[in-house]
Amino acid sequence: MTITIQPSLFEEEVYLTQWLSEPETLQWFPLSDAKEIEDAVKIWMGYSKLHACFTAFVDQEVAGIVSICLQPYIKLSHQSLFSIVVGKQYRNRGVGKALLEHIIEIGKTKFHLEILHLEVYEGNPAIRFYQRLGFKEYGRHPHFIKIREGEYLDKIMMEKPLSTPS
Amino acid sequence: MSDPADYDIRYTQISDAAYLRRWILHDQVLQWMPLSTESEIENGIQCWVNFSRWNASLTATIKGIPCGIATLFLMPYRKVAHQACIKIIVDVPQQKKGIGTSLMKNLKHLSKNYFKLEVLGAELFSEKNPLVPFLIKENFHEVFRQEKFLKTNAGYEPRIYLEMSL
Repeated sequence: MTITIQPSLFEEEVYLTQWLSEPETLQWFPLSDAKEIEDAVKIWMGYSKLHACFTAFVDQEVAGIVSICLQPYIKLSHQSLFSIVVGKQYRNRGVGKALLEHIIEIGKTKFHLEILHLEVYEGNPAIRFYQRLGFKEYGRHPHFIKIREGEYLDKIMMEKPLSTPS
Repeated sequence: MSDPADYDIRYTQISDAAYLRRWILHDQVLQWMPLSTESEIENGIQCWVNFSRWNASLTATIKGIPCGIATLFLMPYRKVAHQACIKIIVDVPQQKKGIGTSLMKNLKHLSKNYFKLEVLGAELFSEKNPLVPFLIKENFHEVFRQEKFLKTNAGYEPRIYLEMSL
């Protein structure tokens, strides 16, 4: 199995839409329906215009996409949130790790980021994966997601310093 | 406050952007915001006043002239729509006259009764921001903080997230 990573093409949005439309994936995102998925996918893939969106291929097949959500303001441009989705059939095969290692490197060398951060929801099994890659929880937003009346999930926020500023 | 007969609160109009621009450009205000360049300020203003399209923004006026704006930054997805971030600004010469308190009272009413919100949040980018004691007085409390979120020549500032239950 060979994993390669390329800058994303906007047309690859169809894969992101397909993955997010699967209920077991969608449960870990703040999105609910096709319209919300479409809006979010357009925003994430929009970072491809800034060369901040990357696609992982496994043996030539699209397997995962990550977007560095570059900040639009100078005072905030030393740090960035990212969003990542790996297709269900490609999970636990090193795709997510390859994508994250790629954006950690690109974040440092190309975008001069000092900090990468992420948001994940309580119970998401990906939390352990992020911890293994050096991300640490810095805050928690209780009741951020409302699943149904009286039932909520916390948002857990994690970050990883990439470099010491000069 | 000046003669209460001269004071009013109405829904924000897109044309209030001109006042918002003037207030934001005041040194005592801009220093607390993540905006720096002209285009960033313009972008921030457009984003802010656009919430008036959903009647999610209130403008305080004295003799018909805007003197403050308070806005709900509504969330775009259903699972998170039970909460909104607020932004509030009062023209510097009109501060300390109760206009902010009056705007907050009306915004809370709008949030609860029209938008059916459960929680209001606020993001601040320095603990020295005078809005911190104001929001504490309005029953907000700190939920989390993200260190080194903002970077200027003077150093780093945190993102402080405050919240109040409606």
